[in-house]
Amino acid sequence: MMPIWTKSGKKHAVTLLKVQDCHVLRYISKEESGGKTSKLLVGGKNASPFYKSESAMEIFKEAGVPRKQKVTSFNVTDDAIIKPGTPLYAAHFRPGQFVDVTAKTIGKGFQGVMKRWGFKGQPASHGQTKTHRRPGAISTNKAAKVYRGKKMPGKMGNIYRTSFGLKVWRINTKHDIIYVNGSVPGHTNCLVKVKDSKLPTYKDCNKNPPFPTFFADGDEKLPEDLYDEEIFQFTDPSVTYA
Amino acid sequence: RISSDGNPAKFQPPPKPVIIDKQKQREEKRFLSPEFIPPRGRTDPLKFFIERKDMIQRRKVFNIPEFYVGHVLAVTTADPYANEKVSRFVGICIQRGGKGLGATFVLRNVIEDQGIEICYELYNPRIQAIEVLKLEKRLDDNLMYLRDALPEYSTFDVNMKPVSHLDHEEVPVNKLQVRMKPKPWSKRWERPKYNIKGIKFELPEKKMKEAQKWSQPWLEFDMLREYDTSKIEDKIWKEVSEGLKK
Repeated sequence: MMPIWTKSGKKHAVTLLKVQDCHVLRYISKEESGGKTSKLLVGGKNASPFYKSESAMEIFKEAGVPRKQKVTSFNVTDDAIIKPGTPLYAAHFRPGQFVDVTAKTIGKGFQGVMKRWGFKGQPASHGQTKTHRRPGAISTNKAAKVYRGKKMPGKMGNIYRTSFGLKVWRINTKHDIIYVNGSVPGHTNCLVKVKDSKLPTYKDCNKNPPFPTFFADGDEKLPEDLYDEEIFQFTDPSVTYA
Repeated sequence: RISSDGNPAKFQPPPKPVIIDKQKQREEKRFLSPEFIPPRGRTDPLKFFIERKDMIQRRKVFNIPEFYVGHVLAVTTADPYANEKVSRFVGICIQRGGKGLGATFVLRNVIEDQGIEICYELYNPRIQAIEVLKLEKRLDDNLMYLRDALPEYSTFDVNMKPVSHLDHEEVPVNKLQVRMKPKPWSKRWERPKYNIKGIKFELPEKKMKEAQKWSQPWLEFDMLREYDTSKIEDKIWKEVSEGLKK
């Protein structure tokens, strides 16, 4: 994570996400998947092909792509279908867009009720016998049972969670890095899924994104760094208030 | 002396003058700001490389002078709420923290009997100028104990004139031993974990011996805590100097 300053002098914290060897693997039509839209399977970071069975490697062989560590599916409209085997780059997103980021949270193991659910526990002294971090009562008398979903100790973390509505501040096309506002679930160097935001406030935010995606061998030649309008670029002189 | 055979003595050339090549001496003195050295961890080195590019960019536009803990600095920042939109603060640098773009330094001064500490970010674009008024290293890396020292050691004149310093000389070390206010202090500075050499402890011998009970002499031999930065520093110094020359 890094600090980023705007032209008005405010500081924001930013997470760096690297797009590492992403390829489109397969196109699944609407009837095949049984959903409302067609799907595109996309694979992430390259990994060794020797640790998976032949049947699992079929998808990668068809697309002509080395084995990927993570495969996710994206719901796509019919006009945005991409041929399997095309590489995807960070320039698919542009600064000023809003993005949702999904990843597996840091696993904390088996945790008690105070850390997992934020219960208050009991006082440390004044006569408490062996009860300082326990949940206390778990149900009422009339219920005569414990409700399903009662917050109790258990395994915490290592589940998929999403941060919604994160602004994209800057894109580095040379190293394929996206600078995303705020923090993102997951530990450092973990695999992360980045989608266009589903929040209604950002529905009309994408002005002319590269559609269906940014093609590296196409006509567009982008500069090495793409900045949002409000970012303070370090080539400018210091900020002054007139 | 007996002259040889009455002939005139052999011509002795005058002794060669010793030329102190100040250019070469300045090049040999390499200073790498501590925020360039990446911390030990599992982060991708690409992240530090990209951060360093941004830091070099900023340093090309705005000069950040070489300074250590103990120097007296004057910092002018753009302030939307000040009268002239510019605020100037003079103080002694007591701590330099943070790595990468978020590197900070804390300046301390006592103004009208009120101790003030301001934490500035080195790469904040609102900073207009950093001037080094007095170059002087102290015996410690961290001068937080000045909070519990007598206020005279933290007062610096706001309109101080910059003290001149020759480029090729080394930064002088001030071996000042600071006198403290009576206890209680904000931290127990006599304990060996802080390793402070710049305080004149006027505590009784018994208390000093009791403080040594918290010493951990095995720490310096702990191999897992070793972090040798010499090779990393060399690489980063070359990168930074080449980036700044362009």
